[in-house]
Amino acid sequence: MTASLCSSIDTLAMAYLDDELAGEERRELETHMIDCTTCRTHVDGERSELSLVRTRLATPPAPDLLKARVARALDAEDAQHAKRERRRWSGYLLPASATAAAVAALVAFVAVKPVDSNGIAPDLVEVTRQHKPMPLEVQGASTTPWLQQNFTPSVEVPQFASPGIRLVGARLTAVNGHDAALLAYNVATGQSEIGLSAIVIRNLDADDLSGGTEIQVGNRTLHVLESDTMVAVTYVSASHMGYAFMTDRLSPDDLVRLVVSSDLIGRAQRGR
Amino acid sequence: MQAVREKRSEFERQALAHTDALYGAAYRLTRNPRDAEDLVQDSLLRAYRFWDSFQQDSNCKAWLLRIVTNTFINEYQRKKRSREVLDAATAEQESTDGVLVHADANDKQSPERAMLERSVSDDVQRALDGLPDDFRTAVVLCDVQGLSYKEIAEIMECPVGTVMSRLFRGRKLLASSLRDFAKSEGYVHADDAASRPKPEPTIDLEKYRAQRAREGSK
Repeated sequence: MTASLCSSIDTLAMAYLDDELAGEERRELETHMIDCTTCRTHVDGERSELSLVRTRLATPPAPDLLKARVARALDAEDAQHAKRERRRWSGYLLPASATAAAVAALVAFVAVKPVDSNGIAPDLVEVTRQHKPMPLEVQGASTTPWLQQNFTPSVEVPQFASPGIRLVGARLTAVNGHDAALLAYNVATGQSEIGLSAIVIRNLDADDLSGGTEIQVGNRTLHVLESDTMVAVTYVSASHMGYAFMTDRLSPDDLVRLVVSSDLIGRAQRGR
Repeated sequence: MQAVREKRSEFERQALAHTDALYGAAYRLTRNPRDAEDLVQDSLLRAYRFWDSFQQDSNCKAWLLRIVTNTFINEYQRKKRSREVLDAATAEQESTDGVLVHADANDKQSPERAMLERSVSDDVQRALDGLPDDFRTAVVLCDVQGLSYKEIAEIMECPVGTVMSRLFRGRKLLASSLRDFAKSEGYVHADDAASRPKPEPTIDLEKYRAQRAREGSK
């Protein structure tokens, strides 16, 4: 055994000093070095050489300027990403088909002056936030009948022309004392799905959901509200039913396009 | 928007914590502070773009070093070659920038280390210049970053045995150049035993293990 230790000492010394030998191999070598001066001297020489190399290779820390540069590069990347996401959305929502023209016509909205928030609009973000971790009370195809039975028979569940937008389910809630239902949608994008919430609120006055930026879509008035994390598009129907569409994943423009593509706005618009 | 913020803070916590280590590797791979900064920035940006593909329970530092190494091998050197023409024209400006960055980097070190850095950095970089890329990469990953043979083998996509022989030869060449520089500046006596040329040994742990198994079974 000693013969192979001595003849492999270059390999063993290296693995030993790099702490890469198995426990038994290490003990064998250490025992061997007690008796074998040649191998002991060799390992000592290698140790001091390795220590020279490592000391000389020690490097300075990254300059603060570099850290600042990296942070700026990441900011730019985040901004690029948001832009790409929006572009993908525009492509998705305005397909090269017959509907494109119809949707484009509807989207010829004009932004009116920003108005001060009044009514119950500010509570909406809070309601959505609270509901995020709460389970839905009904899911799938039975959602609409369940809402008619438990919320109000006259409920109109917003439907979207695109098959990529799917109603997942609903639960009952309340917004500032008004009975409400939270509807959860999944929206398929190219690579992933994003969540969209719609809160339907009974017995509202026309300006109860106003605030943010007022926009006209045909003869409908919508409001776009933004918080630090959420975008909401709100609308109160002629039958005093309030709708607030909310998501944390879309730009205000895209959310408006999405809402306008729903039957709720589209149907009312075309019916006139 | 929420998701982007979460990704960013997770990346900052797990990846940007290794910025100093990455800079150290880049500094030794590129052999100058300016290129090292570019390499670190490019690599971190790339890592951020591919953050979704990082296995959360694996070694983040090794993953980042793999990106630094690959970026260095694949792109940085090509970029560097095409930039050399431009650099020649602005050499004076460059050397001034280099000094500024270097001074900044040294500010945060202990005075002893800063002094050591100033006195030895030139010959270390010169010694590194003399190494083939593969040898230098193995030495940097092991002796600057403290990675294991196995981690280095994964990064360099080669067997552990190859890592060992690159590392062995890289260290020998490096130590020999450093001794030569030191000798020429009078730090080391010319008759230092370690400086005598020796025949190139075979580095092969597997061979040793096989041999040992055979002897053990006798």
